[in-house]
Amino acid sequence: MSLLKPFSKLPGLNSANILLVESKEEFQQSLADALVQETAFTVNVRLAKSLPLPMENEESRPRIDLVAFIIDLTSELSFQSTEASLKCLDPGYFLGKVCFMVTNARNAAAPIERLDAVRKLAASLHCPLLFTEDQRCVMFSPLQTPDGVTNATERLLTILKVAAGLVPMATALYLSNLTRSTVSPDIDQPSFD
Amino acid sequence: MDPSDNVGNLHHMVEAVAPSYGPAPDSSTGQKDAPPADMLRIKQQMSNQCFEMAVQLQAGKSKRSCSTSEAGRELSEYVNELDRVKTIHFNSTLTLHRMQMWHAIGEKLKRNDSEALALKAESNRCMDLCSRIKQLQQESRVFQDEITEIQKRRLEMKRLTHEKMKEMDELTSKAGHPDTEKYKAVLERGQANLEKYKKMTVMTQNVLRGILLACKVNWLDDPKLRDIAMTLEEFSISD
Repeated sequence: MSLLKPFSKLPGLNSANILLVESKEEFQQSLADALVQETAFTVNVRLAKSLPLPMENEESRPRIDLVAFIIDLTSELSFQSTEASLKCLDPGYFLGKVCFMVTNARNAAAPIERLDAVRKLAASLHCPLLFTEDQRCVMFSPLQTPDGVTNATERLLTILKVAAGLVPMATALYLSNLTRSTVSPDIDQPSFD
Repeated sequence: MDPSDNVGNLHHMVEAVAPSYGPAPDSSTGQKDAPPADMLRIKQQMSNQCFEMAVQLQAGKSKRSCSTSEAGRELSEYVNELDRVKTIHFNSTLTLHRMQMWHAIGEKLKRNDSEALALKAESNRCMDLCSRIKQLQQESRVFQDEITEIQKRRLEMKRLTHEKMKEMDELTSKAGHPDTEKYKAVLERGQANLEKYKKMTVMTQNVLRGILLACKVNWLDDPKLRDIAMTLEEFSISD
């Protein structure tokens, strides 16, 4: 069983490598297209459905600077697959090189307990939790649909730049202290429906 | 997990590489004409990465056990300390840059070529503007003082006016007062006297009535007695 290790390879010059893990493989494609538009440095995006990653790409794969898990709140499978994938990640990644991205949080089909569970997961692992929109749930204004991807891209790029060392005087560990998601103590109480 | 799981799940694990459409700014190997800014950036990135790896190694060496809450508290302390040091470093860097700038400007001026002349003209203009600014600031300060003075005087005036109004109110309310005081006293005394005399009169009348009755005088026939008896009826008989 191979764990994905953060420091087992040499870093790339002026580049950042990000791994998007999503069990449904819908949002990650549009996100990837938007991410590679960045021109200040080279962004290499690797897509995966879940971890562990297949062994045959082991040699050609560059060092992954940031692992972003995309969880769709309307599907339980997404959450469970993410939880299973977390076990295949070396603990060294959780010091600022992992982030969780949640989509469809506004959808009525998303149960609140799942959101709480994701929040608790992110808080226990001290990782940032981002909320994004993908195209499906926004039906009212067509202008909104590309913005969800743009916003997600911007925020991911911010974290990615720090994780790849491209921001002077900031390391991923330092940023994780500033962006860690916390869970308020009353999250166990039943919410009002 | 054993390899059989891997084989079974292989069709689920597909890893793809997204093609990069954007122009690659720097290829990672063999850049001949990379501008110095990019080189500096890459150097900073590498130093950042090396720092992270060093931190990782360091963390592996010293292991001590402590509770999570204690670690959390210590962590916030360390982050504060880190912020403080970063601010100091940033300020020092700014100061250093300023000093370097001034040194460069000084060197340039010393060299005394065309650009230095332009620089000197600019700095002279700056000096003139600065002295003009100082002058204007002085004037505005004088004006401000005057304004403050006038405001103080106005406030004083207001206060005096207020006091005078209060005094006037007091006087108008008191003006009727002393007369009514004496008046009341006199009135009361007069009324007391009146009561006294009234009682005396009533008593005398009662006595006269009693005498008339006792003497069994026929006062109806005599006109003088009748008048006196009539007047007795005017006053009420009081105890």
